[in-house]
Amino acid sequence: MTISAEKLLAYVDGELDAREHAEMEAAISADAELRSRVERERKLRQRLSAAFDPTLDEPTPARLRTALGAPSSDNVLDFKPIRAWTYREWTAMAASLAGGLLIGWAMMSNQAGTLTPTGNGLAARGALAAALDGQLAGEVGGAVRIGISFRNRDGVYCRTFGLSRDQIAGLACKIDDQWRVPITAALASSGGEIRAAGSDTPAPVLSAVEAMIAGDPLDAQGEARAKSSHWRARR
Amino acid sequence: MARADARTRSDIAAMLPRLRRFARALTGHPADGDDIVQIGIERALQRIDQFEEGTRLDAWLYAIVRNAWIDEARARARRAKVLAPAEAGENVGDQGASAVYAALEAQDVYAAMQQLAPEQREVIALVCIEGLGYKQAAAQLEIPIGTLTSRLARGREALHAILGEEP
Repeated sequence: MTISAEKLLAYVDGELDAREHAEMEAAISADAELRSRVERERKLRQRLSAAFDPTLDEPTPARLRTALGAPSSDNVLDFKPIRAWTYREWTAMAASLAGGLLIGWAMMSNQAGTLTPTGNGLAARGALAAALDGQLAGEVGGAVRIGISFRNRDGVYCRTFGLSRDQIAGLACKIDDQWRVPITAALASSGGEIRAAGSDTPAPVLSAVEAMIAGDPLDAQGEARAKSSHWRARR
Repeated sequence: MARADARTRSDIAAMLPRLRRFARALTGHPADGDDIVQIGIERALQRIDQFEEGTRLDAWLYAIVRNAWIDEARARARRAKVLAPAEAGENVGDQGASAVYAALEAQDVYAAMQQLAPEQREVIALVCIEGLGYKQAAAQLEIPIGTLTSRLARGREALHAILGEEP
């Protein structure tokens, strides 16, 4: 009995109906050459699975989680290498943000108790500080959502966050055991819809990330490692 | 533009591992695969209002990722930019010898997939790696079953020729 290549593959792929399957089994048991053809195809499938299936167990890279958290391409961070900002651009942006910061501060000071002024600008406290210390990206924990984590050129860990109650997003960097918050901005809202904080990171925060980031954002493993080392700067 | 609700986002998130595997099989390279998955996510979110409720989200996402791959391959061809071949041992960490061996073996398989004609590569990816049935894979690619099975046969012969027998 001659078995066509496609019939044999349909058998290996589990595509034969019960009758054809039984015929095939009978043919195989009677034909060593057919058996070795089947074995060869099975091995190929196994090699393909062995090569590609481990993908399923990998943590999802941060950039894909970020892409899924953003509503449109406008807000999708492009992490391809970018030119570092000049000091002038950096300063100009900081100046343009200062107004927003003051307003933001006035709003927050009587609300969440999540930010506090220090000699070095704003610092996180309370629920925000706890989330920055302990919450992994993508986990929604109470009112705080963590966006991405990365290291700046000095090896300092920084994380973006969103506060859903205050509709504010920002960037925090762990310096001297304190989460300093150089940037906050209002979460964009449209049509009165309350969005999950962190899913629509405002442009000023994204710009700050792009200006500061060294390399890629941390993946899940990198985050876990950084968390267990208490986000202490590593050069 | 309709916004993807939280439910849809989490459904897409649940598909990400399979989309990454599919994209890796199409591109033959982990980072290139993730590039097209990222493009796919962005497009899916932009066009979420084109997704028909009650149809299969996985099929829709496979199609979007496949289109991203086709577009990316065309763009690369236009730029006449040749993909850097995967370096042997690139993803080999500091595991034991058997893990190193598995990673090297995987590199061989990735490289072999990259040598296949694109229309063979995508049928192998859908049937042999993603595990779709013939009918579903043919519908996914909008080709007749006969075309699918002959591409599968030719693709497998090519892989046998490239990879040789089990090492």
